[in-house]
Amino acid sequence: MSVRPRVLLVDDAATARFALAAILGDRFELHVATDGRAALTLARGILPHLVLMDVVMPEMNGLEACRAMREQPELQAVPIILVTAQDDEWDVEAGYVSGCTDYVVKPVDRVELLTKIDSWLGA
Amino acid sequence: MTTAVDRRYLHPGQLAVAHSPCTLATILGSCVAVSLHDAGRGAGGLNHFLLPTAPGSEGSTRYGDVATQRLIDEMRRLGSKPGDLVATVIGGACVLDALQARQAQLGLNNVRMAIAILGEAGIRIERQDTGGSRGRRVAFHVPDGTIDIKSL
Repeated sequence: MSVRPRVLLVDDAATARFALAAILGDRFELHVATDGRAALTLARGILPHLVLMDVVMPEMNGLEACRAMREQPELQAVPIILVTAQDDEWDVEAGYVSGCTDYVVKPVDRVELLTKIDSWLGA
Repeated sequence: MTTAVDRRYLHPGQLAVAHSPCTLATILGSCVAVSLHDAGRGAGGLNHFLLPTAPGSEGSTRYGDVATQRLIDEMRRLGSKPGDLVATVIGGACVLDALQARQAQLGLNNVRMAIAILGEAGIRIERQDTGGSRGRRVAFHVPDGTIDIKSL
């Protein structure tokens, strides 16, 4: 049996987590964190193949978590897709400057998200 | 005295054309933008698409094949024939150094789609600023057709 890619889903909103999990289906080994700080700790432990990260979260926001992950040698090459309702141009720029790999705006388009995930995972 | 110039920011999936002074701006990662400029008419347009090929008959400008053809059609509505136009293709980055070597990148496929549609239409590509590992902030100025590209 092939190993399913580990995806770390980070979002403080249960409804968003539910919606994203429904899109991802059972193709991935899904791990969940509800803020940036918890995501950083979890990522160091599980070494995800890909991270889906909200931006506006308590404790540590998605941009801070993204920067922190890029400072960890074992996480530098992990694709991080910011999945956020923040679609202002300065938010998008801040996302790329923080080190994200891609930027997806909520509400999420299923085809768009899965195509991006497959591309970054090399599927 | 300076004259205020209209500025429009294009979100993914949007496109705009203009024949009066304005700046069309967008931000790209693996997404691609195509600009078309008609120097004779002082007209131009810009799109911003996310994925190369629309599934089935979906006519969404979030896809490169639809968005690039739509941009050509909109310029034609302004009176610009393909021979009047020059194109710039921008974006398609792989914002992760570790994946740079892989050929099946989304960004690269987006660039290929834009080039294919422009080629089919007979539009000359004057400039390409594509690939690499950094996002881009783009500002396309009408009527002169100049483009500012800032690496993020």
